[in-house]
Amino acid sequence: MSTKFILALLLLTFPRLAVADSQRILEESTLTYHVSYPLKQTEGVSHAAKGKGVCHDGQCDFLIAVAVKSFDSGDSNRDLHMLQVVRGGQFPMITVRTHLPEGASSLSTIAADLEVQFAGQTVQYKQIAFQHVTKGGDTLITGTIPLTLADFKIDPPTLLALPVKNDVPIRVEMKWRAM
Amino acid sequence: MFSLQDLGISSEQAQGTAADQARLDKRSHMLKLHQRFGLIATVPLIASVATSFGAGGRSTSTADRWTHLALGSATGDLYFISAYFAIRAPRIPGTQSHGQIRVHKALVWIHGPGMILTPILGAIAFDQKSKGEKVHGIASAHGAVAIVTAAAYSAAIVSVSFKF
Repeated sequence: MSTKFILALLLLTFPRLAVADSQRILEESTLTYHVSYPLKQTEGVSHAAKGKGVCHDGQCDFLIAVAVKSFDSGDSNRDLHMLQVVRGGQFPMITVRTHLPEGASSLSTIAADLEVQFAGQTVQYKQIAFQHVTKGGDTLITGTIPLTLADFKIDPPTLLALPVKNDVPIRVEMKWRAM
Repeated sequence: MFSLQDLGISSEQAQGTAADQARLDKRSHMLKLHQRFGLIATVPLIASVATSFGAGGRSTSTADRWTHLALGSATGDLYFISAYFAIRAPRIPGTQSHGQIRVHKALVWIHGPGMILTPILGAIAFDQKSKGEKVHGIASAHGAVAIVTAAAYSAAIVSVSFKF
């Protein structure tokens, strides 16, 4: 038998010998937005994000998506106003895409370029720092995306004629698991 | 590159509609008007409470009593305009009230009937005074009903203004 034939037979029998993509799935997440009014602060939390990462040839692509209406600030009226202000009826999802070298998994701090789609706009955030910890088979990622209302052309809502601050940072806590 | 479908998110979930956004816009617009008229109504409300102390007296007709009546009427008009916008604001399917907004909505069961009863009792009291009578019977409850109504109304405003 030729060497090529034997190799092909081995690869068919034992698929793991072939070069394969590695995948990661978002297992748990907590996304928290923070809004500042002159007289008070408000936070809204979502645990409903879905995400996937695929690594191939030393490069990894990640996609994370969360429904705008999944954020809960503790008051349904405020949540509905938020949904309206960020055009959530027309653009119900927030998506984040990033591309990282596979070697980033060995670093405790990862600087990622993010492409964020939200409220019908696409904005790039460069070199956003995320803390990275590996616990068993899970990877914990935490960081803050410095989102602003102006970036997404969102009119700042007002409370008693006082507008909310332009900065609406999003705190991200994610647990990823290898598939 | 992969898509939202790879995450198990259907195209229906990922796609919004202009109609949904228009409904949200209309709801927000009407509730802003509800808020605006509701806040404006506090001005004649406070003034009518302030003028209530001079609205009694023995005279069959006093300027204070007419002023109190006018301010009370203005309060009632603004209140019901505000209520109209709250009642007619579109509901968003699939949402349930939770948080302090529930307190705001619950208080309507006090200030709503109060804003109907207060002017009715006030009209009876006004009529009795105009005839030179002492305010008596059910009309004597006008003051107490008005105070409870004003308190519930104020609490309704506070419930959506501050975080507890």
